[in-house]
Amino acid sequence: MERNALKSHLKNMLGPDKVLTEDLDLLYYSYDSSFLTKLQMVSPDVVVLPRSTEDVQKVMQFAFEHRIPVTPRGAGTGETGGSAPLSGGIVLDLSAWDEIVEVDAANMQVTVRPGVIHSDLNDHLAAYNMFFPPDPGSSKMCTIGGMVANNASGLRAVKYGCTEQYVLGLEVVLPDGRVITTGGMKSKAIKNVSGLNLTKLFVGSEGVLGVITRIRLRCFPKPKSRGIVMAVFDNLDDAPATVLEVYREGILPSGIEILDSSAIRAVNAFKPHINLPDAEAILLFEVDGNPPSVEWEGTTIVKIAEKRARQVEWSTEPKRMAALWEGRSVTAAAAARVRPDGSRIFAGEDIAVPLSGVAEALRRIRALGEKHGIQVVNYGHIGDGNVHTAPVIDPENPAEVEKVMELVHDIHLLAIELQGTTTGEHGVGAVRREYARLEHGPAVDVMQSIKKALDPYNIMNPGKLF
Amino acid sequence: MELQQFPLVKDQLKKCVRCGRCRTVCPIFAEIRNETVAPRGHVFMVQALRDNKVLPEKQVYDRLSNCLLCETCSINCPSGIDIHELNKAARSFIYKKNPSMVKDLFLDRVWTNPTLMRLGGLALWTFNKSGLQKAARSLGLTKLLPGDLSQAEQIMQDVPRRSARSILPEINPPRGEKKLRVGYFLGCGTDLFSPSVAVATVKVLTSLGCEVIIPRDMKCCGLPHAANGKIDSARDLMIQNLKVFNSLNLDYIVTDCGSCSSALSEESLKLLLVDQGYDEEIEKFCSRLYDLNKFLLEVLEISPRELSSLDMKVTYHDPCHLAKAQGIRREPREILRMIPGLELVEMEDSERCCGGSGTFSMTHYDLSMKVLGKKMDSIARTGANVIATCCPSCTMQLKHGTNLYGYAAPVKHPVELLAESGTQFRQQ
Ligand SMILES: Cc1cc2nc3c(=O)[nH]c(=O)nc-3n(C[C@H](O)[C@H](O)[C@H](O)COP(=O)(O)OP(=O)(O)OC[C@H]3O[C@@H](n4cnc5c(N)ncnc54)[C@H](O)[C@@H]3O)c2cc1C
Repeated sequence: MERNALKSHLKNMLGPDKVLTEDLDLLYYSYDSSFLTKLQMVSPDVVVLPRSTEDVQKVMQFAFEHRIPVTPRGAGTGETGGSAPLSGGIVLDLSAWDEIVEVDAANMQVTVRPGVIHSDLNDHLAAYNMFFPPDPGSSKMCTIGGMVANNASGLRAVKYGCTEQYVLGLEVVLPDGRVITTGGMKSKAIKNVSGLNLTKLFVGSEGVLGVITRIRLRCFPKPKSRGIVMAVFDNLDDAPATVLEVYREGILPSGIEILDSSAIRAVNAFKPHINLPDAEAILLFEVDGNPPSVEWEGTTIVKIAEKRARQVEWSTEPKRMAALWEGRSVTAAAAARVRPDGSRIFAGEDIAVPLSGVAEALRRIRALGEKHGIQVVNYGHIGDGNVHTAPVIDPENPAEVEKVMELVHDIHLLAIELQGTTTGEHGVGAVRREYARLEHGPAVDVMQSIKKALDPYNIMNPGKLF
Repeated sequence: MELQQFPLVKDQLKKCVRCGRCRTVCPIFAEIRNETVAPRGHVFMVQALRDNKVLPEKQVYDRLSNCLLCETCSINCPSGIDIHELNKAARSFIYKKNPSMVKDLFLDRVWTNPTLMRLGGLALWTFNKSGLQKAARSLGLTKLLPGDLSQAEQIMQDVPRRSARSILPEINPPRGEKKLRVGYFLGCGTDLFSPSVAVATVKVLTSLGCEVIIPRDMKCCGLPHAANGKIDSARDLMIQNLKVFNSLNLDYIVTDCGSCSSALSEESLKLLLVDQGYDEEIEKFCSRLYDLNKFLLEVLEISPRELSSLDMKVTYHDPCHLAKAQGIRREPREILRMIPGLELVEMEDSERCCGGSGTFSMTHYDLSMKVLGKKMDSIARTGANVIATCCPSCTMQLKHGTNLYGYAAPVKHPVELLAESGTQFRQQ
């Protein structure tokens, strides 16, 4: 359909306030947080800001009829170009549709529209002494819709898992405009195995199967107490060994984070007052629960860590915990400081490997960085083997960009070689689809058949996932 | 200067990873809720402009001006980007390529000249009082202002008859023995719209043994010009101010306006006058510059003696340029707490921008009023009967808010309340 006709159709259909059509305005929808969209800039033909399921339905029926690509978008904090419209068409910006529809405290669940921001939801739930446990680093900006579509998780995934474990049901507008409810039309049950599990199909589908317009989430009771253990190691291999021993002792911490020497240097350069000890690795364990169990778990971790670590500290005092945790919380921002004219980029940033392969992964990523002449900073959720690598480059130097893309490719291949995956939490989007077959083999054909059954004209977020 | 050469464009632009942290803290984004007003969107647009992906046209300028320059994004940016400075630089770059006569006239001819400013203020006052706004409009005076003055008029409703400069002499002798010679940087907003603040400032300072000089050839701090894309004018103004104040043999330079003191900070001036050979002059000027609240506490070390009790409930609004740009939050509160009988009640989110932002309330009236609405809500919830703040632009905006919402509370500078409660101080 001709662009101007498309714009005026949508304006007539939804009213001018819900549609952006000016070329300049559309440019702002060419990016998300990925490095990819810093290199290429593709605008949509039109942006729609829906405020109801009916709005979305109308757009999908129209797009289906005219075979127009549609890209759903939350806050655009994805690292994979997932919400960037690679072939123009319509972008559905769902981020302003942020209603908390119902807190059903009696049934420990909450129903929201897709645009609710993660931290806003948890602030709201705090009054009911409940929380939605997945906790991405982007908590203060990403939407629940985006989290569901990407099956996001965070540093507490080691204990609390990913978004998928909490999604009880979804309302989805399919590519042809049909609206379905998964997890039971009226169900409020927490346990439900009836039917094929369509909820799980849509969680993590990255917008290629339909538009998520309502989300019913399971909530957990908020733990009463927390504690932090910091352990400093001179030998990298001692870090995963300690983690394993903690598990064997019957403890499942709510978070286990690692900073390797590159991250320690970056943090100290960024905020000298944090003054992390110079070491090969620092582990941070977070335990949560009821006060006596937190105390027992914390002191037991200390005993285990002391066998290998040079220095161990344990605290349940809020100020001290914040100080211990500060190093980790600034790492992402600190990464760029390892090089004065450098910037941290989001690419090759999210591999996950088995616990037994973490030390090797960290060592080999460092070696790959040296091979390609690129500085890297490594940190991550060691508890579940999720390694975040931050390459630091001058993104305006084409030769460096070329080199870093080779490095990123090598990191992704390394993840598969170490029996891991190219992405532990950020997703595939446009940047990792080339690895789909390498990771999944013929299963990709089945994924494509499912896609085709729901989206015969390939209008839903084309160019993503596989 | 071409956009590429602007220091922050060179160093900081590439650091943006578009993480979106700025989206959730931006008061404009909270109202408009789409990416075109997200601060990271502004950074993106500056980059597109630098790389010639978009032309330096008015429509780009208009989008970049959907911003209060309140710096909330900048202080929250994990990558440490001065988003507001990038935005200002880009506006100035576009502005140079497309000068608009109307704004030029007002900002260059009127707002650079204290006499014309006073006349302009007086004219506004006359028209206000005589109910001749319409006539003013037809005379064309209102056209000199940026934006739509029919709305701006509402904000300027209470233009006082006399400016501070016409009330206060150039040299204000100390009461008692002279201890310090202090230059008073009297900002345009205080001068024209809040002369009572200037009077209070002089009263308090002189009573503490300061000789207060208000140089007649001092100019605007240049902030309104920089915010409206006129960096060259801002430069000329500040070069003149450096000359004036540095030639006066002053012990200190004090201002009661949060916006002026942020524009006059060493960091801002060095950025404004980068590579112009003024670093020494700037250091000389800035080493003596103080925000009034800080000056009272840290230099004069006042503590109350025989202050008379003011029975009032006061809530304090943090001006963006004082709190976020300079980290001055504790001092004004400490001054308020010194006053016996005065109860200080905190409003929710006291640092949230009021939407005034200098000329923003005139150029973007409707949007500015939405931002103001949220501020007025949190003020109303405190039940305060006086609103305190340290910026004439915030004062104007909040006064307008009290009129709009029928909330009967005067808006005052802490120094006004201090002066009201007496001028008997003990210096430690
Ligand atoms: C600083 C930073 C830290 C991060 N930390 C983490 C982390 O710890 N863990 C983690 O998992 N991720 C993290 N991320 C990545 C990202 O924030 C998450 O993937 C997040 O869930 C994306 O949400 P969003 O609202 O920004 O979605 P977007 O980026 O806008 O979209 C993501 C994908 O979801 C699709 N989509 C969005 N909404 C819908 C909908 N309603 N229906 C259908 N499809 C939809 C889009 O098409 C796109 O494919 C981080 C990102 C940043 C910038």
